Amino acid sequence: MPEIPPQDDPITSRPMSLLVLISAFALLLTVAWSLYAEFFGLRPWRSYQDQFRVVYSEYLQKQIGQRKAQERTFFATPTYQKMKADVQAALAAAAPMDRELQKQIDLFDAQRAAITTGFQTSRGKVGAVTYDLEQTPESDKSGKAAEMKDLAEAKAQTYNVDWPTATGVESRKMTADDLANTFTSIMAQRAALVAQRGDVDKPAKDAQAALDTYVRENLPGLGSSDLAGLAQSVQNLDIKLRQINVNPPGTQINYIGGVGLVDRCQSCHVATDPLVVPVVMTVTKADLGLAKSMDAPFTSHPDPDLLKFHPLEKFGCSPCHGGNGRALDSVEKAHGRYEHWLWPLYYSANYNAGCQQCHASDAITEHAPVLNNAKQLYREKGCVGCHKFQGFDNQDELLVANRQKMLQMESDKKADQLEIPRLNKLGDQATNNDAANRYYATATNLTVTVSNMDAQEEQLENRSHDLQQEIKKVGPDLKEVRMKINKEWIPYWLQHTHDFRPTTKMPQFRLQSDEVQAISAFIWQSGITGPALPKQAPGDAAHGKVLVESRGCLACHSVGEGSAMVGGTFAANLSRIGEKDNYDYLVRWVHNPRERTRPYSPFEKRDLGPEDYAKHNLPFVFDLDHSRSPNDGHELVVQQPTVMPSLRLSIEDSRDVASYLMTLKHADAHYDAANFMDDPQLKATGKTLVQFYGCAGCHEISGMEDEGRIGTELTNEGSKPIERLDFALLTESAKLGVLPDGKKSPRGVWYDLKGFFENKLTNPAIFDTGKYKPNPQDRLRMPKPNVTATDIDALTTMLLGSTDPTLPPDYMYKPSDERAAVQQGWWIVTKYNCMGCHQIDIGQKSVLMDLPMYQGQDKIGLPPVLTSEGARVNPDWLKGFLANPAQSTTETNRNGVRSYLQVRMPTFSLSEDEIRTLVLFFGALSHQAQPFIPQKLEPLTPAEVTMARGLFTSTAAPCLKCHATGDAAHDKDATAPNFLLAKERLRPAWTARWITNPALIAPGTAMPSGLFKRDGDRWVFSGPLPGSFNGYMGDHANLLVRYMFQLTPEEQRALVGRTAASNSGGASDTGGKREARSGSRSAEHTPGL
Amino acid sequence: MKAKPVVLIAVAIGFAVGMISCGGNSSTTTEQPAAGAPAGGGTAVDQNTAGTVTGTIKLDGTAPRMKVINMAAEPACAKVHTTPAMTEDVVPGDGGTLQNVVVYLKGDFSQYKLEVPTTPVTIDQKGCQYSPHVLALMTNQPLQVTNTDQTTHNIHPVPKNNREWNESQAPGAQPISQMFAREEVAVPVKCNVHPWMKAYIAVIGSPYFQVTGKDGSFTLKNVPPGTYTVSAWHESLGTQEQMVTIGAKESKAVTITFKAAAAAD
Repeated sequence: MPEIPPQDDPITSRPMSLLVLISAFALLLTVAWSLYAEFFGLRPWRSYQDQFRVVYSEYLQKQIGQRKAQERTFFATPTYQKMKADVQAALAAAAPMDRELQKQIDLFDAQRAAITTGFQTSRGKVGAVTYDLEQTPESDKSGKAAEMKDLAEAKAQTYNVDWPTATGVESRKMTADDLANTFTSIMAQRAALVAQRGDVDKPAKDAQAALDTYVRENLPGLGSSDLAGLAQSVQNLDIKLRQINVNPPGTQINYIGGVGLVDRCQSCHVATDPLVVPVVMTVTKADLGLAKSMDAPFTSHPDPDLLKFHPLEKFGCSPCHGGNGRALDSVEKAHGRYEHWLWPLYYSANYNAGCQQCHASDAITEHAPVLNNAKQLYREKGCVGCHKFQGFDNQDELLVANRQKMLQMESDKKADQLEIPRLNKLGDQATNNDAANRYYATATNLTVTVSNMDAQEEQLENRSHDLQQEIKKVGPDLKEVRMKINKEWIPYWLQHTHDFRPTTKMPQFRLQSDEVQAISAFIWQSGITGPALPKQAPGDAAHGKVLVESRGCLACHSVGEGSAMVGGTFAANLSRIGEKDNYDYLVRWVHNPRERTRPYSPFEKRDLGPEDYAKHNLPFVFDLDHSRSPNDGHELVVQQPTVMPSLRLSIEDSRDVASYLMTLKHADAHYDAANFMDDPQLKATGKTLVQFYGCAGCHEISGMEDEGRIGTELTNEGSKPIERLDFALLTESAKLGVLPDGKKSPRGVWYDLKGFFENKLTNPAIFDTGKYKPNPQDRLRMPKPNVTATDIDALTTMLLGSTDPTLPPDYMYKPSDERAAVQQGWWIVTKYNCMGCHQIDIGQKSVLMDLPMYQGQDKIGLPPVLTSEGARVNPDWLKGFLANPAQSTTETNRNGVRSYLQVRMPTFSLSEDEIRTLVLFFGALSHQAQPFIPQKLEPLTPAEVTMARGLFTSTAAPCLKCHATGDAAHDKDATAPNFLLAKERLRPAWTARWITNPALIAPGTAMPSGLFKRDGDRWVFSGPLPGSFNGYMGDHANLLVRYMFQLTPEEQRALVGRTAASNSGGASDTGGKREARSGSRSAEHTPGL
Repeated sequence: MKAKPVVLIAVAIGFAVGMISCGGNSSTTTEQPAAGAPAGGGTAVDQNTAGTVTGTIKLDGTAPRMKVINMAAEPACAKVHTTPAMTEDVVPGDGGTLQNVVVYLKGDFSQYKLEVPTTPVTIDQKGCQYSPHVLALMTNQPLQVTNTDQTTHNIHPVPKNNREWNESQAPGAQPISQMFAREEVAVPVKCNVHPWMKAYIAVIGSPYFQVTGKDGSFTLKNVPPGTYTVSAWHESLGTQEQMVTIGAKESKAVTITFKAAAAAD
């Protein structure tokens, strides 16, 4: 080991004072700095709270002033004065008795107090001796005797009591039993007195309650004294850290720390604390005079209703809003908008993202309009065609799973079937009868199991049929393109998708012109050419226009371009349809859009033709009732995969509509010849391209029926690590906050999920910027979706919220009660755009409601409001109605219920499963019990029949003026359904509520309110009563309902006769619309109505 | 030739073990093979020593009156009967004898190889009655069901120890072939379409059985020497038994008497 050279001792050899001095200063500065940070620098919330206290106090003072003025005016009103006087009078009347009772109660209280000590002591002593007695063994006779003696003594011992009386105090001597009895008796008497006093005070209390209610109704909100109290507490507001602790047992919210969640958001957002701003109040920045401030986090929660379902103590703030709830030292940190926090606060455009995590299974989530819009867009714009998303239309996958299940069951069944004889043989050979019978029983049970499997298999078969029927494509069937489309238009469309139809759902693909040619050629050449469509005679375009505008087409489709566009956005704008479509095809489509030229066999993987049917001597007929292949019995695709329903128009009307649609075109439209489309050499290239671009995601294309989705699954896209999103050459500018167009990003750095999604949706090709990709198929293939800025915000919101669950499973909204039926129903309702015509959710507007043809008094032509449908109709009836809205198999060109409406409830060919879901949905929306049990109705007495007839036909209740009767001349002007439908269709309880106050159920209905008035606990008719009612004490509304539910066609005809006789010449002419010919029909023709 | 007892025991054990391994039920190891076990092990009955049990079944007292069956519900059957069809609960034979009694021997036949007849026993449905009303067959002996009626019957045995089955048979249909694997005296048979139709099928583990006819007699031949119980079963009068011991080439007669009064039970 080498020698270490001697070194100077640093302590003695170096002067350290300077270093010490510097260190001392450094320490001092650090202390000062930490103190500053502790009280100011890292506590920005202190100044926020300070500021809030000042501005909120000012606000409250102003409120108090206003409130006082209101109260002064209100308290001066005669009604208030009178009610106040009533209260005083009642109090005064009750006062003497009240005082007397109170005196007695006080005396009892004093007496009880006087004996309490003695009572408790004696009870204790007796109890103790009794215990000793019980513990002494039976054998110890002398011991028992001694204890008995002690007990007698304890009971006999007297206690001195100063017994208060009404006049003074007397001395009493009381034994244990005396004390116990007295105590019981005092308590009983006192309770009786308290009850009596309650009765005495009741008038005054009732008067006070009436007054309070009156005040609450006419002067809502906090009173001036409440406000003053609040102002006082705000004055004394503690400047402190305000936090919410969420500690769900055994769970890890946000997986932080493992003990739950601490949200300190309220330290700055003071107004969200319900102790500071009561939930009945809302406070905005503007209220506080800080409308323009960018740094005033003082708004109370803008949707207090949301907090009712999501109590702060269970949800905190950050699980919904994102952000780092614990951080307090800067806004940026608290909002989680820094590199190392994975759940940044959602921007205001994306607030609804917070709902998605738990509400991913909803199609419609209340209070989340942006998210709901996004989900609708995701379907409508065809995102779902390429990008799988759990919960969205996945019938194709379910179908595969279903087939798998059937195969599995088939093999289980085979195994069981082999097992049965084996067991029987074992039974035959068993050595004793018990064993034999056990084997036989097991075998018998297996046969029952197998037969149950058959039943289950049958259900799976039905489900397959249903699923096949439920599969819808976003875009049209391209197999029939040759029969439907103008050939030259196709390449133009592929290149100018959004120019031709600015509102189309089809995205614009980035295609080179050679790609366009190849794709067009493939589509054209793979199309089927027949059997040829029937040649259609021209129709009456003017009448067609009337039909388009009146039958309800505009609930989904729009006509007109630009600002002249009228109608819904659910389906295509029809403005230029005349430039591209074939008239004969259009007639068939309008007549029944589900009709196909050839059925497709998923088993044989080809479209069948007449020749396949002829081989089996079958006519070429295929529809939902003839959906099995003649070749192998397997289920066929017999309908067009479109959501468009059949309006059940006559063929003449269909021609008229198609003729009108063919007039919708630009006069100067011109398409270049496209001979290349017949070039067979392009077909193969075209096919590759069609597969590459995933066209089959949205369209049915020959040979690609089984193509999967080509895009990324987006179910958990919001949890994708930022590194896995390819910003490519834009990474640096994203981090610098420079947008692709070179402008500065308003929110700075956009290197985050939101930035990626927004830019991708705006221009999917943007992330190819600067890349060298000579081969077009190396480029990003996502086409440019046709979306607005609002749409992009909505879709971004949905994607941001679509995260891996960070919350415990019981936070997920997966209800098991009736709300589950509501949740499932919305998927169907939105799938078929039921809300285009109907109001289903309270307050929701249908598309039709906003159209010019349904304004003012024309509102009467709107389809029915369905907000109480589940309570209104018999679910068994509803099943039948949804399957067949015409309520007839022969007369289909009509509405089954509201024959008088021009707008038509179409036939959606819903699957049984969809019908079931919808019926349960409506029931659940109206909180109806499942399964349905019809309400029993008391039969009418002959006298009641006479009364009801009289009422029905009286001039005071002109029911049959508006309600259809089945008489064509009469029904021409009817505006309400036939009463004969009631029995099958309605629920009696709802009907009674309806006829007594229809406006409550459907505001704006043509049915008048006030037909009945309340008389005690029954409804009586408001108008003059027929003589037969003399002395009738029953409920008149109930009488009419019972009558309505047993009405027969004969009875109704008799009524019509009587009405006609009593009100001759009442009918008015509405102008002889041509619609009458295809509108109402006699309901009598349909049996069972 | 005379088999050595040791060999016989070994064969019996081997047979039992084979049965057990088939059944896979170890709890039956100590149990005696049931009478219903298929006959087969052992040697054939020696014709030179075999004896005979004969006898008569008597009825003591007057048989209850049988009732007329109302076949109005099935005219096709009513036509068949020239005289009204009667119930067959107790059918007396000639000279105070009793018909429709199943007589069979109970005993240990496990050392013998008992051939199961391959000829089927037939039960016919004729005039909406079963013919015969009582029949006996050996375990695993084929049963053939025929229908000569112009109506559809269902034949539905309701056994206690055998497999239950229930099959319909249209007029002119092929005979139904079935068998019973386990001894059971006797399996009631009914037709659910014609509730008055009743039959009994006795399933016996040995070939020593007979159903008495008009003369009430029975003869059980080819019985190996030994002591047996002669069991007589009647559908409504119950079971009567007598012990009998047969020596080599011996023939013994047995008389069994049923009391008609028992019919009241």
